[in-house]
Amino acid sequence: MERYIQEFSQKAISLLRNLPRVEIAKAMNILQAAYERDARIYVAGNGGSLSLATHWVADFNKTVFSHHLDTPQRRFQAIRVPTTEEELTAWANDVGFDMVFAGPLRNYLQDSDVLIAISSSGKSENIIRAVELARSQTVPVIGISGFDGGRLNLLSDAKILIPTTPGEYELVESVHAIVLHIFTKYFREYFDHVFFSRKSPEAAYVAPVSSTVDRIFAAL
Amino acid sequence: MVISSAPMRISFAGGGTDFPEFYTKYPGRVISTAIDKFIFIVINHAPYTNHVAARYSLCEDVSHPSELKNTRIREALLDLGIEANIEIGSFAPIPARTGLGSSSSFSVALMKGLYAYIGERLDKREVAEAACRLEIDLVKEPIGKQDQYAAAFGGFNVLQFNADGSVDVEPVLLDYKKRMDLENHLILFFLGTMRDASSVLAEQKANTERNFEILKRMSDSVPVFKEALLRADFESAGKMLLEGWMMKKQLASAISNPAIDTLYEIAMSRGAWGGKVLGAGGAGCLMMLSPVSRRAAVVDALMGGAKAEGFENACEIPVGFVQVGAEIVINSNGR
Repeated sequence: MERYIQEFSQKAISLLRNLPRVEIAKAMNILQAAYERDARIYVAGNGGSLSLATHWVADFNKTVFSHHLDTPQRRFQAIRVPTTEEELTAWANDVGFDMVFAGPLRNYLQDSDVLIAISSSGKSENIIRAVELARSQTVPVIGISGFDGGRLNLLSDAKILIPTTPGEYELVESVHAIVLHIFTKYFREYFDHVFFSRKSPEAAYVAPVSSTVDRIFAAL
Repeated sequence: MVISSAPMRISFAGGGTDFPEFYTKYPGRVISTAIDKFIFIVINHAPYTNHVAARYSLCEDVSHPSELKNTRIREALLDLGIEANIEIGSFAPIPARTGLGSSSSFSVALMKGLYAYIGERLDKREVAEAACRLEIDLVKEPIGKQDQYAAAFGGFNVLQFNADGSVDVEPVLLDYKKRMDLENHLILFFLGTMRDASSVLAEQKANTERNFEILKRMSDSVPVFKEALLRADFESAGKMLLEGWMMKKQLASAISNPAIDTLYEIAMSRGAWGGKVLGAGGAGCLMMLSPVSRRAAVVDALMGGAKAEGFENACEIPVGFVQVGAEIVINSNGR
């Protein structure tokens, strides 16, 4: 049994060593741009990926800003789609499961928004439909996939593929959770850095900019 | 109504290698970043007027786009076949012709907005190409392609101009600490005088063959500059700006002048590592990299020097880098 556990952890370690760092960095730039233009970031996934999406939404909307929640500061607007079970079941029952993301998303999605699509196989038809809708509006897509990446990886602007043999859901979803936590930690530390260097200019010099940084903390 | 926007840019190295006279023979490269100064274009459908209005530093009200004085708006409207019932306005925080690439930011925002107005969407690459076509092919400006791509894509990038006319956009992946650290080392000093890039660039374009070896060195310096930034080695980057500036001054006669040389010397004597005049040169903005501890002294000395040279409106322009590129801010015509 220990050996079984060891084998799983070795595979996970190997995947983590080879994380697609450039693509993850590109994704973080897409999120940075979304913040700058006050855009919405929609997240979609099925099953375990839906759970990852929902977890990340809570982290990104709240945990990122945890150290200065009382500051009147622009925050991220991450939104899981669909936002209600009622929409999900209505689309699934009345139209088909392929439309559970693209159907509701069409109500909200604006050209300046961002879509994060999570699918271990990269082949989930409902995810691909949502990605195609986003692309038709030139909305940037962060694709988080596993196995061979499927069409999701091909269609994405930031192609975060965790390559495994098909069917390795546990490994892929575990590493996806880590990728999403990298996003959260990076932006939490970024806003902490901005916040604390603004609060005590002698601690870390920040140029007298009326720039992005000042727009973030206009009230300080 | 459609409102579109595009950022201005600061270019660090490789300017002048984005002309076909050069990049058809050797890959051109530029490293630049979008900054938090934006051009906004407002496009309004005015169905109960028959006019075409353009509002920028001038107010034009004409009955057909061919009568417009604004060359970019005129050619864009003629090209898209929009003949009447339209009002176009532009807004910016900084005057035109300061070396921050604003005229191409204007074109990028204009094309992004006009296509949205007719119900089409352009992605980053398409809008960059549409703006290049507008400025280079239709308006026949003697300019390169770096500014249109910088404004359309946003962010910090190395742009490579290939012999077949294609452009590769490779992001420079600086984390927030390095990015903010570079902002802290960077001084953008507006001289308070403006210039028209065309005359400087036309001379520079004509000199391409004579300048070929210099341009090659400028293009080759871009990956080295990028590596310095990724190491957060801003001293090396600053010294490379100095070398680049010495090379750039050889490209055309009007890139520098005695007043700019004096201010540059003043900044260096107060401890700056190096810098350049942004854009085509001749006037506009002086950008310097300096140790953070010397920053205030460099700015003070530049202010004093600028006043002595008669640049009454000279000032430091605070600047931050942005990821955002050309965007549709509002499209009330629907999605």
